[in-house]
Amino acid sequence: MGFRQLGHNPRLLFFGLLLLAVLLPWLPLGSSTNYILRILTTAVLYMVLALGLNIVPGFTGLLDLGYVGFYGIGAYTSGLLAIHYDLSLWVILPLAALNGALWGTLLGAPTLRLTGDYFAIVTFGFSELVVLVLRNELWLTRGPMGLPGISPPSIFGHPLARDWEFFYLILLLLIIVLLVVTRLQDSRIGRAWFAIREDEIAAQCCGVNLIRYKVTAFAISASIGAMGGAFYAKWFKFIHPDMFKFWESILILCLIVFGGMGSIAGTMLGALILIPLSEVLRAVLPQGLFSARYLIYGLVLVLMMRWRPEGLIPFEGAQARKARLARERLNL
Amino acid sequence: MREISLQANPGQIVGIIGPNGAGKTTLFNCFAGLYHPTRGQIEFLDSPVVPEFSEAMVKRVRRYAFFFLALGLIWLPLFWSFFLPGALFKLELVLLGVFILVIRCLLIRGLLRLQIWAWGLMFVFLLSDLCFAAWWLTHPFSPASLVGARIPVGYIAWPWGFVAGPFSIYLMIQLWVRRVRQLYGFRLRPDAICRLGMARTFQNIRLFFNLSVLDNVKIGCHAQMRTGLSGALLRTRVQREEEAATESEALEHLRFVGLEKRAFDLAGTLAYGEQRRLEIARALASRPRLLLLDEPAAGMNARESSRLIQLVLRIREKGITVLVIEHDMRVMMNLADHIYVLDYGRLIAEGTPDDVRSNPKVIEAYLGGGAAHAEA
Repeated sequence: MGFRQLGHNPRLLFFGLLLLAVLLPWLPLGSSTNYILRILTTAVLYMVLALGLNIVPGFTGLLDLGYVGFYGIGAYTSGLLAIHYDLSLWVILPLAALNGALWGTLLGAPTLRLTGDYFAIVTFGFSELVVLVLRNELWLTRGPMGLPGISPPSIFGHPLARDWEFFYLILLLLIIVLLVVTRLQDSRIGRAWFAIREDEIAAQCCGVNLIRYKVTAFAISASIGAMGGAFYAKWFKFIHPDMFKFWESILILCLIVFGGMGSIAGTMLGALILIPLSEVLRAVLPQGLFSARYLIYGLVLVLMMRWRPEGLIPFEGAQARKARLARERLNL
Repeated sequence: MREISLQANPGQIVGIIGPNGAGKTTLFNCFAGLYHPTRGQIEFLDSPVVPEFSEAMVKRVRRYAFFFLALGLIWLPLFWSFFLPGALFKLELVLLGVFILVIRCLLIRGLLRLQIWAWGLMFVFLLSDLCFAAWWLTHPFSPASLVGARIPVGYIAWPWGFVAGPFSIYLMIQLWVRRVRQLYGFRLRPDAICRLGMARTFQNIRLFFNLSVLDNVKIGCHAQMRTGLSGALLRTRVQREEEAATESEALEHLRFVGLEKRAFDLAGTLAYGEQRRLEIARALASRPRLLLLDEPAAGMNARESSRLIQLVLRIREKGITVLVIEHDMRVMMNLADHIYVLDYGRLIAEGTPDDVRSNPKVIEAYLGGGAAHAEA
């Protein structure tokens, strides 16, 4: 099977990459294995986050600039639960997701009536608010001192410490999130989201309850963000309000735009390319130019917008491919 | 628009014609729930799409909202100082209280539209009001703090309890009764109207252009499906069966309009006439009782429009009532059983196609006053 054919069968490609990822810690890469693993863990974490964010601007067509707020909420939920109650990761993850969904609903229910830019401003305000609360509510979050000493997650009483263990953990999380996102995409709910993105009025006249589906999208996106945050806190073992600044939201949005708004494969590819790119640049650039790496980062995005404005794997392409598979299935 | 009164009987094809700017599309938007008429009533299958407003009730609810705001502004600091001594000086708590108050007032304003969730929250709030009113009435003089002792709480608490308490009960009962729609002027949202069985197409085509033709029709089936979040996530057997049934039904609708060959193309790639037919298929997918077609033959050549006429006649054979807006008189005369003519938002004539064709008012509206006289 040639490479081109592989490109036409995304499922096979995905399982191939997954197999590669699973084998990665055991490949003879020498002393740099742990370094690569750490970068890839970050990349996969951002894949999870981007998949979560993708639901709102990609599927439903609403610009969400406050995603990092939910990420922060998840991280602090996880950190505080771990420190005060010493709960296991498998309890913390759902709780963090629920907390994220709660705040997503609370923010979404009143504000999702707003359209376009106004909604973006509100979400932006929300993420700033989260950072302010994290910084100022000393009794809860210890504010600018951060939250150190989060216990590492453990599986069957064995605390995770090595890099490959965390890598496997985030891969597991990725698979769960991927399952959720693809299943939703192919269901009645996903179609309602797409309809809202394409044309709100027509969607409404087809019987789609706009508010309900927008809030659902927002809550699910928020809960995936919070799960990412929960993992992050458990992995890094230290969290600080500054980690959840507005820049993170923009970065995740960039991953989506780069990969292809609304397409799952594109979103993952975007994260897989852009996140390690920063590390690669760190290694490649000479000492003096080291701080210019964000400049190059920006340049990549600008070039991208010039030559492929719909992203690496555009949504329409993915739709057309899906349709072709369906046609083959039905022999039409 | 004013003084329009029309009626569509089941199984009929009813046409609406009129010159540009006559308000035909506006009328459709009112039917579909996109626009809200300031006055008047629309009924569909015995349920009011736009009910007759009870102006007095709306006024009463609004007055209650303002009353609440004023009373709350007095009550809030008192409450805090009474139950939580010292809390008045905690800025955050006071802000929280004001926030809750504002939300409540907004919710009461939301009563005018009565979204379901606002309805539930409203109920909880009213219940809490009632509890507080009862508390104030039974414990008016038990100062828990210095502030509470100094302010004559009773003088404010008593009227509060007497007014807010009964009014809360009254509103709760009003909210509870089934006639709530009529009382508060509860308009149906477009999606609810669709679920009732009214589907429409648009004058300027509004398809989901980046989705496949089949997906467009599947979204039309949305109102008929039941799967929720858990079903979609777990891929339950019910969900899979429903998906399969939807797919075959959507293909069936596509076959009906003659688009099954293009089911897997993106909707944006269809030709203009095909897009019109796809819109009809999408509307049919919601299994409507009444179909609103907004200029279905616009921009079509003679062959395409005669195909369209056949299609609409076949839709009627299914037992669906059709309401058509159309400019093309030839299409309309072939199609409609009954025609209404609008001009400047007024109904100027109605009757069978032949009646309308010979009506001097209609000729005047279309060709101008002079032409009618010339013909006469």
